[in-house]
Amino acid sequence: MKDDYLWDGSGEPDQEVQKLENVLGRYRHEQTSPAFDQLAAEKPARRHWSFPLSRLSFQLAAVAAAVLIGVTFLVIRVRQEKYSGPVWEIARIEGAPRVGWHSLNANSESAKLKVGQTLVTDNSSRASITLDETGRIEVDPASRLRVVASGPNRKRLSLERGTIHATIWAPPGEFVVDTPSAVAVDLGCVYTLHVDDSGAGLLRTTMGWVGFKLNGHESFIPAGAVCATRPKIGPGTPYFEDAAASFRDALTKFDFAKITPQERNALLGILLVDARKEDALTLWHLLSRVSDADRPGVFDRLAALASPPEDVTREGILRLDQKMLDSWWNSFGYGDVYLWHMYERTWSEPSKAK
Amino acid sequence: MERRAVIAQPSTGTSADDALVSAARAGDRSAFGLLYDRYARMVHGILLCRVPPREVDDLVQEVFLLALRKLDSLRDISRFGAWLGTITRNRANDHYRRANRAEQPMEPAEEEKAQSRSNDHVAEQEAAMTLAVLRTLPETYREPLMLRLVEGMTGPEIAARMGLTHGSVRVNLHRGMQMLREKLAEKAAPGAERNARANKASGQNE
Repeated sequence: MKDDYLWDGSGEPDQEVQKLENVLGRYRHEQTSPAFDQLAAEKPARRHWSFPLSRLSFQLAAVAAAVLIGVTFLVIRVRQEKYSGPVWEIARIEGAPRVGWHSLNANSESAKLKVGQTLVTDNSSRASITLDETGRIEVDPASRLRVVASGPNRKRLSLERGTIHATIWAPPGEFVVDTPSAVAVDLGCVYTLHVDDSGAGLLRTTMGWVGFKLNGHESFIPAGAVCATRPKIGPGTPYFEDAAASFRDALTKFDFAKITPQERNALLGILLVDARKEDALTLWHLLSRVSDADRPGVFDRLAALASPPEDVTREGILRLDQKMLDSWWNSFGYGDVYLWHMYERTWSEPSKAK
Repeated sequence: MERRAVIAQPSTGTSADDALVSAARAGDRSAFGLLYDRYARMVHGILLCRVPPREVDDLVQEVFLLALRKLDSLRDISRFGAWLGTITRNRANDHYRRANRAEQPMEPAEEEKAQSRSNDHVAEQEAAMTLAVLRTLPETYREPLMLRLVEGMTGPEIAARMGLTHGSVRVNLHRGMQMLREKLAEKAAPGAERNARANKASGQNE
């Protein structure tokens, strides 16, 4: 094959590729492995307490230490029973965001947001919440955000209404947000999530990608794309915001409007005709959302826009072979879909989904 | 200095990696060190797609220390590479966000240009320019090409490390290389492109 050298360095060398290797090779990773085995050996240095030499002083110190340890243990135990897991730090950005009866104003120091508590912002207040190893979330005005769970590898919030801007640096799958109409699972990303008073939502990804799910209906939203959700229906089909207006309008009706099969066919026709190369994202999702009769048309258009990898066949896609669908998705390069399969089952549907 | 174009690892077998991940989860730090040896180039390449070269080495260490702390949260050990890749992208995003907050960042391409301006060495200038162009490619193509051209990984190795199929990596390498060629050609002939644009504009005005 012509690109064998690019693929694995075999075959006749491609001079242009060789030149690039030589030019760019100066940036190559050269560092040796850090001494991870020494990390295991590192333990906090023990403090050596020096007591007065007199026997009485030593005994008094021992009794005091025992009392102190007992009290500390009890306090920690009570606190652990009340609030388990890491705690989000709240910082006021403007106005007077509220947790329960407690309002944060300009003079307030930062507060904590614990499991079961809800952060509420009115029309003129904004706040942020941060968890060191998870991420930072800015909460816009008129929002209600509750902490559902906060275990070591499990952080779950519920956005009941309003808008949040999430920047997540936790490993994929550790952070999820419930909304009334879908669950958003972070797969490594920066995103904005909005929920209106009816429970309908809109997710817009800025970096990385997000998985959106309800009742087995799932959508993957890479950077630059958006996805709407509706109560009882779940996530719609994601699309890139710069798609043609006719394409976006047709997609909204296709996903959420009460329409006849004929109208649905007509809308699908618009989607297939107006799709650009970038809209392969949308067509890939449509493969599993259209009828068996419509699927060949979607396959042909998608294949014309983004050739399927070698291990993907038309027959396989028409029978919705999951491995082939996954492989085609992975060829787009938005993110490894296996990560989604690994984590999505561990997060149940939102408790408040209507 | 001539470099070996492709440096294949002794073994790309995922079952060997699975054993190392299992051992590392059980507390075997030398096993984690071996995982570092196998995956450091992937992590380095992914970071290089997103952050300035001078900051990449420190971030590689941070990513592996974070992975070590979080290894228990990885449920399917066979997806270690994909999991590590996502941690790496998240760390790079976080780094970018913090840099944004601290100061108005330069666009990567501008930064590379600035570095190259301060350096007279022609080869370094060429490398900085080529890297800057590579970093303007869509993410789909940028990462595999960075791993292939900079880190010297083979296509099968990239697929194994990142948990992708051979087909998808091959397609993305091929398309990315085409796009990189076009962009480098444009860069090499800016005058020609400007003339073409000017001719087109004057044609429209007539």
